[in-house]
Amino acid sequence: MGELENLVAWLRQFFEKPSQKFEFKIMFFLRCLVLVSFNSILLILNFMQSVKASEYENTNSLNTFGMPGEIDLPSAVSLPDGQFSPSLTFFGGTIRTTLSFQITNKLTGAFRYARIPIINGPFDGYVWDRSFDIHYLANIENRVVPSIAIGVRDFIGTGLYSGEYIVASKSIGERLKISGGLGWGRLAGQNGFNNILGRTDRGYRDVGFGGTVIADKFFSGNNAPFFSLSYKINEKLQIISELSSDLYYHETSNSKGFTRRSDINLGIKYRVDPTLSVIATLIHGDAIGITVNMGINPKNSPHKSGIEPAPMPILRAKYRVQNPKLEQEILSESRRLLELEGIELKTLALSGSKIEVGIVNRRYINISQMIGRVARILSLTSPPKARKFKINIIDFKTNLFVSEVIIDREIFERNELNFDGPENLWESVAINNSDKIFFSEYDKNRERVSWSFYPYLDVMLFDPDEPIRFHIGAELKGRYELSPVTAISGSLKQPIAGTFDDIKRGPKAGLPNVRSDFMYYYRDIGSNVYIDFLTLDQYLKPMPKMYAVVNIGLLELMYAGIRSEILWKNNKRPFGFGLDVAKVKKRDTNGSFNLKNEHYSTFLASMYYDLPNDWIVKVDAGKYLAGDFGSTLSLKRSFNNGWEIGAYATITDVPFSTFGEGSFEKGLTIKAPISWITGRKSRAVHEATIRPITGDGGARLNLNKEKYLYDVINEYSEKNLYDNWKRVFR
Amino acid sequence: MKKIISILFFTVFLISCTSDDIIMTEREEFYGIFKSLVTRNFSDPPKSSSSFVKRKTSRWLSKFQQPIILVSSTDYKNQATLVALGNNDEKLTWVSADGISMTFDQGVLISTRGYSQDLFSLRYKNPSKLFLHDKLTYKKIHRYLNSENRYIDITFQCLARKIPSKKIQFLEYKLIADKFLENCKSEQYNYKNEYDLLAGTGIVIFSKQWISPSNKYFLTYNMYAFQKT
Repeated sequence: MGELENLVAWLRQFFEKPSQKFEFKIMFFLRCLVLVSFNSILLILNFMQSVKASEYENTNSLNTFGMPGEIDLPSAVSLPDGQFSPSLTFFGGTIRTTLSFQITNKLTGAFRYARIPIINGPFDGYVWDRSFDIHYLANIENRVVPSIAIGVRDFIGTGLYSGEYIVASKSIGERLKISGGLGWGRLAGQNGFNNILGRTDRGYRDVGFGGTVIADKFFSGNNAPFFSLSYKINEKLQIISELSSDLYYHETSNSKGFTRRSDINLGIKYRVDPTLSVIATLIHGDAIGITVNMGINPKNSPHKSGIEPAPMPILRAKYRVQNPKLEQEILSESRRLLELEGIELKTLALSGSKIEVGIVNRRYINISQMIGRVARILSLTSPPKARKFKINIIDFKTNLFVSEVIIDREIFERNELNFDGPENLWESVAINNSDKIFFSEYDKNRERVSWSFYPYLDVMLFDPDEPIRFHIGAELKGRYELSPVTAISGSLKQPIAGTFDDIKRGPKAGLPNVRSDFMYYYRDIGSNVYIDFLTLDQYLKPMPKMYAVVNIGLLELMYAGIRSEILWKNNKRPFGFGLDVAKVKKRDTNGSFNLKNEHYSTFLASMYYDLPNDWIVKVDAGKYLAGDFGSTLSLKRSFNNGWEIGAYATITDVPFSTFGEGSFEKGLTIKAPISWITGRKSRAVHEATIRPITGDGGARLNLNKEKYLYDVINEYSEKNLYDNWKRVFR
Repeated sequence: MKKIISILFFTVFLISCTSDDIIMTEREEFYGIFKSLVTRNFSDPPKSSSSFVKRKTSRWLSKFQQPIILVSSTDYKNQATLVALGNNDEKLTWVSADGISMTFDQGVLISTRGYSQDLFSLRYKNPSKLFLHDKLTYKKIHRYLNSENRYIDITFQCLARKIPSKKIQFLEYKLIADKFLENCKSEQYNYKNEYDLLAGTGIVIFSKQWISPSNKYFLTYNMYAFQKT
């Protein structure tokens, strides 16, 4: 024991701040680097295996903030485009959970939820804080010039991590990388000097209720230098030393935090594989910590282009036995073969040189691939005189005809195995909104009732009393079709266990409680069975490019009433327009049929634009549930394989002070397709919306996702088919 | 209490079901993937057997009513019999029982489907001309789709040469075959394909061909060349 105490004492002495003079700190920094290098040699022998580089994932360049950097400091690097990186850090009483996303090649964004030790912290000496970061790589390193990045930490929020930086990084050889930069705000807490930009007054930052950008304070006040040095021992192991200018004022002023003994951070980064790395840290000579950084890139499925079975190969007519067939025979043979592919054939008509079919896509998230498979089957089953295939797509839930795709059979068959086959075929393909309205010819055997019984898991984040709350239970869903376009659908939930009924926070003041009193519903429902929703859904198609839906009943957990959406969407255009109107009453908090005497109405006009790249913009404007008027801007990156990652913000005429904590409604959205993980064809997706704060300003109804029309219709647009057309022969 | 909750939830999970056949199929597929992952992790790896082809005879072959080929990974751990289902201008597509297809143009593999990193398409030299040469340099482009449905093209510079005829055994037959070797290099990847041609012809009876960076090589035994029509 005595030896251990001596060692601890020696280490403390070693990391004690030697001097306030900057040159001494540089020397100290180098001493530490030598020490870490020496110790790390002992570990090298265990970690000699090489790890293959990946163009899609890189977790080695993430720091303890889950952003590009070394340990605590930033560095001038960026991550592979599209990567999103969950990160978890523990040290000295601090817990940081970050989700960062490489928005473009050079731009990284992050959302963080952190537990920070702070004097008089309301949660047992801590505060739970949300923050957003942005990092932009302005220049990429070449032989002479280093890479340069600029970034802002915690630019929306209460500002506990607020800081800005400019950083340059240069590699020397393949192993050594040096970064140096200048920090402002929190990053100028130590070793600071006068602002080089002349913006001397950072002053008091009135963050109000958080959630707002206070851009006039960026890069103001004192600035301080910071440095980092990293040495790659092999492909897996890296040692890092930093001279940090972060004072850690709050964390060091509370006994639950740590003591800042030096300006130096030390770390060892171990890269398990490109998607996972671990950093062991010694922060400011006192706090031992660990960080786990993970990386997932939607562009990189574990199954590459998929492992679903191969399509039916084309057998040219001259190799087939040609017996004249009746239309009914063609229908039944095509139906049987398409069923094997997971496609329902509803109608088939042969007229002259054209064969026209109506199909329902049940399994393909990639519509172009599904079209290719339909054309292959038709090529096999239809007589040679059928020169054109007209494929009408019927949406499964609404029974509305959405799009028609016309394919020239000869061109399709000729290009099946050509190097540029999909491109050659695309030139002859025509895609339009279908003129037909809805599929009305019910089969006699068609089941009008459908149901499912599955477990459910609901998760709620960011409650400071319990940052992760959950509810698990069983859900019985049912649907009865009164007519092809009219159905009754509902969901009955039985909670089994969870922590939703123990939320201590109450609703917000200042506005009618249209959303912020959600906790009363979970409290009163407890472990009882409740109706999540029960609606009569009527789908309409008044014109070929116009679609509508009316929902009447218990629309969602908190509201009942009538809601109607109308959408104009030309499938050949990248934009669409919608109007969503609802008149609702609040439901009783026990999830029964009873209603409260609280009436609300909302109307929102929407414009959708599918940008030429992967981005989809949506702008809503109108009246929100609480009677406030304003607008929502949503931006999402849509990957061709079904992944979507986006963000939205709603600003209304409700003052930030009235909205309360968070200042305005905002959130992140993620949609992950199951087919990406399994490699098999499936339309199943998992969707999540991360809302830092649930308030009443900018609140809207929250129906089941499939009851909103735009995503249903836009899936079959020309742009969506074109973006995925390379898969038509897959 | 925790135990009861766990049991309840697990019971719900076990008895979960739906009237929708498509969803049930997907669920079963998902469980199948999970099950095969578990079995792969906890069971012995399949034993390789190079006698896979050696055991085959013309009598065995005569049982098949339609043309077949045999394919195998180079370690013989993955083997399959494929039947011809497609013919598009003499480019034959062969399909295995588990839904993997391979398309050949006169013995040259030009596409695969259903095998993760598939060879989506190939820009290549016409095999009927290629196999006539004793020595030749040319360019090949392998095209793949990434998981975001964008092309990845890998351009190879190839040097091919024919080496003198030698005796080989195929089924129980002893044959004279020309060996055609194709040595291709790109910036990142290299491969060496081999084709055994019936002597004096362009008919490929056996080949070892590279598919993609993750799938590597596959051996192909063109049994149909010995099947009675």
